[in-house]
Amino acid sequence: MKRLDLQKLGQYAIVIVVAVTLNFALPRLMPGNPLALIAGVDVGLLTPEQRAQIIADVGLDEPIINQYADYWKSIVTGDLGQSYRSGRPINEMIAERLPWTLLLAGGALVLSSIFGIVLGAISAWRRGGKVDVPLLTGMIALQSLPSFWLGMLLISIFAVNLGVLPSFGAVSPAANLEGWAQVRDVLEHAVLPITTLSVLSTPGVYLTMRYSMLEVLGEDFIRTARSKGASERRILFGHVARNAIAPVITFLAIRFAFSFGGAVIIETVFSYPGLGRLVFEAVSGRDFPVMQAAFLVFTAAVLMANLTADLLYPVLDPRTRSS
Amino acid sequence: MRLRSRAAILLLVMSLIAVACSSETTDTTASGDEPTATTAVDGSTDETSAPETTAAPSEEPITVRAAVTGGEDTLNPYTYVSGFPGWNLLMLQYDSLMQFDAAGEPQPWLAESVEPNDDLTEWTITLVDGVTFNDGEPLTVDDVEFTFDYFVEKAAGRFARDLRGVESVTTDGDRTITVNLDAPNPAFELVALADIPIIPQHIWSEVDNPEEYQFDSVTNVGSGPFVLVDYVEDQSYRFEANPDYFRGAPTVDELVVVVFADDSGPLAAIRSGEIDVIFERISPEQIELLDAADPIDVVQGPEFTTQMINFDVSKAPFDDVAVRQAISLAVDRQDIVDTVFLGAATVGSPGWVHPDKAVYNPAVAADQDLEAANALLDEAGYTDTDGDGIREFDGAPMSFEMLTNSSDSLRLRISELVSEMLAEVGIQVNVASVETATWEEAVWPGFDIANGRNYQMAAWGWSAPIQANTIRVAELVHGDPSIGFLNLTGFSNPEVDALAAQLLTEADEAAAAQAIGELQVLIADLVPFVLLAYPDGAYAYNSATYDGWEFIAGQGIVSKVSLLDPSARP
Amino acid sequence: MTSRSLTGTLRGVIPRSLADRLGWLGAGIVAFLLGTAVFAPVLAPFDPAERVARPFLAPSADHLLGTNDVGQDLLSELIYGTRVSLTVGIVAAVVAMVIGTTVGLIAGYYPKRLGSVLMRFVDVVLILPFLPLLIVLAAYLGRSLTNTIVVIGVLIWAAPARIIRSQVLSLRSREYVLASRSMGAKDRWVIMRHILPRTALLATGSFVRAVSGAILLEAALSFLGLGDPIQKSWGSTLFWAQSRGAFLTPAWKWWVLPPGLAIMAASLGFALIAFAVEERINPKL
Repeated sequence: MKRLDLQKLGQYAIVIVVAVTLNFALPRLMPGNPLALIAGVDVGLLTPEQRAQIIADVGLDEPIINQYADYWKSIVTGDLGQSYRSGRPINEMIAERLPWTLLLAGGALVLSSIFGIVLGAISAWRRGGKVDVPLLTGMIALQSLPSFWLGMLLISIFAVNLGVLPSFGAVSPAANLEGWAQVRDVLEHAVLPITTLSVLSTPGVYLTMRYSMLEVLGEDFIRTARSKGASERRILFGHVARNAIAPVITFLAIRFAFSFGGAVIIETVFSYPGLGRLVFEAVSGRDFPVMQAAFLVFTAAVLMANLTADLLYPVLDPRTRSS
Repeated sequence: MRLRSRAAILLLVMSLIAVACSSETTDTTASGDEPTATTAVDGSTDETSAPETTAAPSEEPITVRAAVTGGEDTLNPYTYVSGFPGWNLLMLQYDSLMQFDAAGEPQPWLAESVEPNDDLTEWTITLVDGVTFNDGEPLTVDDVEFTFDYFVEKAAGRFARDLRGVESVTTDGDRTITVNLDAPNPAFELVALADIPIIPQHIWSEVDNPEEYQFDSVTNVGSGPFVLVDYVEDQSYRFEANPDYFRGAPTVDELVVVVFADDSGPLAAIRSGEIDVIFERISPEQIELLDAADPIDVVQGPEFTTQMINFDVSKAPFDDVAVRQAISLAVDRQDIVDTVFLGAATVGSPGWVHPDKAVYNPAVAADQDLEAANALLDEAGYTDTDGDGIREFDGAPMSFEMLTNSSDSLRLRISELVSEMLAEVGIQVNVASVETATWEEAVWPGFDIANGRNYQMAAWGWSAPIQANTIRVAELVHGDPSIGFLNLTGFSNPEVDALAAQLLTEADEAAAAQAIGELQVLIADLVPFVLLAYPDGAYAYNSATYDGWEFIAGQGIVSKVSLLDPSARP
Repeated sequence: MTSRSLTGTLRGVIPRSLADRLGWLGAGIVAFLLGTAVFAPVLAPFDPAERVARPFLAPSADHLLGTNDVGQDLLSELIYGTRVSLTVGIVAAVVAMVIGTTVGLIAGYYPKRLGSVLMRFVDVVLILPFLPLLIVLAAYLGRSLTNTIVVIGVLIWAAPARIIRSQVLSLRSREYVLASRSMGAKDRWVIMRHILPRTALLATGSFVRAVSGAILLEAALSFLGLGDPIQKSWGSTLFWAQSRGAFLTPAWKWWVLPPGLAIMAASLGFALIAFAVEERINPKL
């Protein structure tokens, strides 16, 4: 058992090393040049010497192996360096963006798990019935919506035509609100992006829950409970749902981890200042340090989620625990 | 029911956490802002804001919310990102010695007068009396001298290039500066005096590494009509008016610039009333649509940005002038203007110079002539030998890849139209839409033309300043990379070189006009690139909030001039 | 795994026909779209690449969905878009399934060394930063429809690989497999004879799901400007609608809605088939 854990840890370590190496290599394999980003739009006006100086200033003239070593050093020390674009510490930038991304992802996670789990449970319980069929079809249809399309339509309806919700950003620009007014402002701005994300992610939760429920419904102890005459509601929520939840939690954990990559499309459509937008702009401008740092956060989040799911699964699923 | 309320609570908790975190970061950006910001606003009711300078009938302060696409960083002379609107926003905080008037001509501004000598090598500048920086320190000739030295020494790309050829700067008394150039520079006013922000010596003398120095609203100040008091990365900038501005208090009390992630965001936000003006050119189809929406108005005018075709002139078959001429003859520029720009553009002159410029040579015309194009290609031996509709050269079909950047949808459409047009003369063009940095790297590797070119054909465009200053055409066509450092097509011709070099230093106006006239004919004939169109600038604004926008010829409305009282404008 | 007899008991409670009905609905949608794709030249009133009228026309008798920003017929674009979008979806899914099935089979059949190495590789692929990978691939492969397909395929093969592997893992310990191995059958033969056929249905489910994913991905790439806007796909129609502001004008009804609904229909069609197939595989469900 111990040996197996060690082996597993070893494998995780290998994945981390490979992922970090790729995070380092990918930005540098991209065609294009971070020079424009560092020097600004007037890069064409620079003399060759000035160009060389700029490249040297950010350490891009160093041998690639040294740059790679520096990246590892930054990971170990936790100081992810400075952005080419703004010269700001990247730790600070990520700390600034992450809460917004988590607000969207967290909001969507909460909403989609509530709707997904409840509707999935109902659907499975009433399998093939009048509720299940339209629900199932509807969910699969929702899953098939292009995200930007939905986001833009929501903007068009609720912000432009009805004028009831803001169309962009995370807060009213430069309004400097405080207290409840600020909370309200933040919530108002989050409504449309969270709605979009929730609509798109509920079907996944729903389908997972439905599958898992159906599996549990077929098991012996449920039939026993039924034959004992326990009330439907009690069986549904007390036995089935509780036992079916483990795969759903795993699914949600991984989904949440992936949200650390930021919702690039949603954040673009709503001009929302989250991680996805940071990554997209870093990628467009070839801001190597920011790209590396953001990918690192993403890698770490997904691996953590995998690990957590591995650890939590036995705890959550009474069946695996007993066996 | 219960579940829903629980969800609401969870959501609330999550957002509170987020708010707590984000307000912390806002604090750090804004820390230290308060003192100057308030001192700047405190005097807003004193005698400087004379009754006739305020456009608003009420005492209600006017806030204008403007939209830009993409951030401009901390917006100081070393960090602003784009030439437009980044530089324009920067210049809300800073002043230059001269300022563009509505006609796009530089007029004295911080300078009371600008007097060149006869051969344009010595420029005597007299400063306006009593100008102060926004922190209350006076702006003196020493600051001007310091600024020139600083930008040269610390290599600020654009401003250092502006000051190329400056041999010495001397001050004489309190108000006079003399700038000596190593060669005549007829464009010195345009490129340097109206371009360079004057920075305060008392702050910048302590800044060793301006690229990394973290400025705040106390240190990032010039003498301009606005002070940047708040900045949240990729979200917004907040400028407050400087009521003591030397040309009179601005007509707007507060300017909030919102950063959008894409072009369609501002269009939605101006319709929903969340912003008041878009500081980016709007797409041609939006002109009519937005103008029709009340209370939105659109101001439109010709601008100096360009849309063109580049080709690698160093490689066959583009090294053959006949091929280039044929391409220029085969494209229907009017069709591009009508179809892609819906008429909101000026047809490109094959001689590069915009028809609105005084030095434009009307002798160069750009009419599509398919027969002539076909004849040229036939004569030069590019014939379709295998009957597939595509001509051959050296046994290979004349089939080329034309790179274009996917972020510019109009340019993409232009490329498609060009491909269609060239097909009619037997040249196949495959449009390849790539991401912007990839496209730049292929056309202009490392932003240094010495690195060569990795493309066959490319849709390209230059920003307004290059067209605005006509003599900069030398940078596009001169064969010597130190002069023609924007010569992306690898073009070289001794006659063109001679004229271009003459133009750069020609002090005599008539001789300069003569040279630029001849150069246009040569360019139209030798076709180092194909100029297709000069798109119009069109800007949408909410006229109920503020309607004092001034369209500066060739440059648009994003300027401090738009935010000053008409009597205070140059 | 619970005893098989249970399914018999449950069959009475849960009608099998639900999955079938939905599956047939999906098949109907897909068949309709495939028909549209095949007969596009007959169905489309115009050549979608030709400028046939003024730009930005509202719907009329000549142009049922109006024209786009350069005067191309939007209905024809939608019809031809079916071709491109379905091709991208199907071919990318084939690419993904070929890689995914191969990796899944090998990793499941040799779970010790080779398998765990392969699965760690799958882990890495799943956490690879998507955007730069895309740009890098596009840069080295060039930009064309083929490459969009390859890129999407390469990006989505990992999930099917995992599913197939777990199936193979369980098949591998079945009696008939153990028996034929003990009789000295070659691995290749065992895989081809016993394993592959039994994963085929599962793979079909994954495949159809991948098609639906690929169609959506193509649209998303187009939106980010990373697709090929010259190709007349539904995604590129939306890219143009978005970049020419159609979402905020009355034109959304004829320019934005139809391609969006088409993407949804195609994705739904394939997803319903996938659902039905998956229900079949796991009779317990």
